[in-house]
Amino acid sequence: MTTPKRIIKETERLVAEKVPGISAVPHDDNVRYFDVKIDGPSQSPYEGGVFNLELFLPDDYPMTPPKIRFLTKIYHPNIDRLGRICLDVLKSNWSPALQIRTILLSIQALLGAPNPDDPLANDVAQKWKEDEKAAIETARQWTQQHAKA
Amino acid sequence: MKFGHVFKQTLKNEGFPPDWVESAISYSQLKKCINRLTSELSEVGLNPQTLARLIKQVEERNAKEAQENTKHADSPLEYLLNHEDGPEKGGVQKPFQPKLLFHVNEKTGELDSAMLDEETKKKLHMLALESGLTDLRVLEEPDDSKSIESGASSHTVIGHECRRRPGYKTVEVQLTSDSEFFTKLSSELSGLETLQDREEKRMHDKIEELGKQVAKLTDPDRRSNKKLIAVWRQIFQIYVENDIFFGTRETDHGGHDAGMAAQRFQKFANTIAQQGLVDKFKKPECLQALTSFMNINREILQGLKFGEINRTAMTKILKKFDKQTNLNVARSTFPLTITYPSFSSHLAKAVCSELNTSILSHVPQIDDYSCPMCMEIKWRPVKLSCGHVFCIRCLIVMQTNKQHLCPLCRQRSVVDANSDNLDLELADFLKKWFPDEVKAKQKHNELMAGVDQYGEVYKDQCVVM
Ligand SMILES: [Zn+2]
Ligand SMILES: [Zn+2]
Repeated sequence: MTTPKRIIKETERLVAEKVPGISAVPHDDNVRYFDVKIDGPSQSPYEGGVFNLELFLPDDYPMTPPKIRFLTKIYHPNIDRLGRICLDVLKSNWSPALQIRTILLSIQALLGAPNPDDPLANDVAQKWKEDEKAAIETARQWTQQHAKA
Repeated sequence: MKFGHVFKQTLKNEGFPPDWVESAISYSQLKKCINRLTSELSEVGLNPQTLARLIKQVEERNAKEAQENTKHADSPLEYLLNHEDGPEKGGVQKPFQPKLLFHVNEKTGELDSAMLDEETKKKLHMLALESGLTDLRVLEEPDDSKSIESGASSHTVIGHECRRRPGYKTVEVQLTSDSEFFTKLSSELSGLETLQDREEKRMHDKIEELGKQVAKLTDPDRRSNKKLIAVWRQIFQIYVENDIFFGTRETDHGGHDAGMAAQRFQKFANTIAQQGLVDKFKKPECLQALTSFMNINREILQGLKFGEINRTAMTKILKKFDKQTNLNVARSTFPLTITYPSFSSHLAKAVCSELNTSILSHVPQIDDYSCPMCMEIKWRPVKLSCGHVFCIRCLIVMQTNKQHLCPLCRQRSVVDANSDNLDLELADFLKKWFPDEVKAKQKHNELMAGVDQYGEVYKDQCVVM
């Protein structure tokens, strides 16, 4: 099966025009499967951490959004224990004009601005709302423990 | 090697046009000015060390005043590059009149500086006396007519000044070589500016001419051009991708220096040669147009190089000025009128944007006509009611999936799109400029429609065929 032009173009651009703090490299044997690394944004509890994610482009991409999840453990109100991400553009607000790079940027932004009012990881969101300071401290500890490069 | 020498050699060997070389900063003459100024200053006992000491004292005082937020204005000397009194009339800039001001206590006749050595003070007193300031102790209104200048020696002039300070009189040392230096430098800089304007106009005409030529050579209505349009397109695409003079990427934006631009231009030239694109031009008109295109780029490169070396020359000469006189022009009193005209970058910017509008735009690039969803050519183009255009294939898939919103603006424009939405004008345009791409996409669309109807088997069979 030939690779759709769209995937070729996106991959080329990801290599040619790197986004600061983000990398996405396709597997040699599967152009639809990417190893993703996102640096924790500065001035967030994730600063200094490097987070691994996996990204997969389904057959009907871009009509359906890429499937993406965190592989590195992370303490965040919108990311659950399995690494699944609660982000509207990955679900109901997906548009076929969005791209891998825009999605990764949104995820990077989500790390910088956790939103406990729209939770996926219920217990984390609960803690976040009850005692934000302590939750941020936990997030920082997890980053040190699990996301050190 | 000394910079003066390097500068001279560069001007001689880089193949700059003679009128450019003539307009270049006359580094060695300015250097001589500095030497004359140094001897002028030391004649009044102001060797660089003394001046450095004095200026340091002034700076310390200023810092202290700033800290204490008080204004005593009692520094022993001031270095002025211009008259500050009186607004400029009619926008005409006054010539530089650099001078040193020393403040003399009216009661004691003492120069207000303990840092000056006795000999320097004596010399300054002598000069003050010589030029008519006979009694330093007398309180009198300063004379604005400045008749004293007539009795001046060839290189230094002492006179009254109208900058008043209660209790003090001011001794003014006008620096002839100093003003010569700045007058020369600023007139050379404005000369460079004129040259830049002239060059811009000349390049403009050249580009316009070439633009007409390229338009003719890539006119898709002419049969003989058919095969060559693709070649021009590839050349221009490689040109744009190489970002020769300006970076257009997130990690590299802004102007490039001459070295970087030259390197990128070389890469562009190598690439089009390697891909055999130049060889495809058999017609002499095409080769000629390409040569002219390359030459325009070389001229921009030359302009960059010329601008850079002149900028360096200016920075160096101002540094030298400071080092030998300790007057610190480059650091603090650097006058606004001596800003280097952005010869190189300005020219490159103006010329490049013209290249874009008058030449590159004659040959449309496929990326500007690709569908935001499949990133293939927008064939056949369907214009939704919201104004956004996609290829018909992607919209059929969206409608089948019951995805009703426009991917770009999220209006409900996908759901009611039908054959009336075909953009016939754009279709004609695409067929004309991108016949090969249209053909390939058409085939692909038909194949995918077959898959819709008969399933994946259809596709596999077709691929085998
Ligand atoms: Zn499409
Ligand atoms: Zn729209």
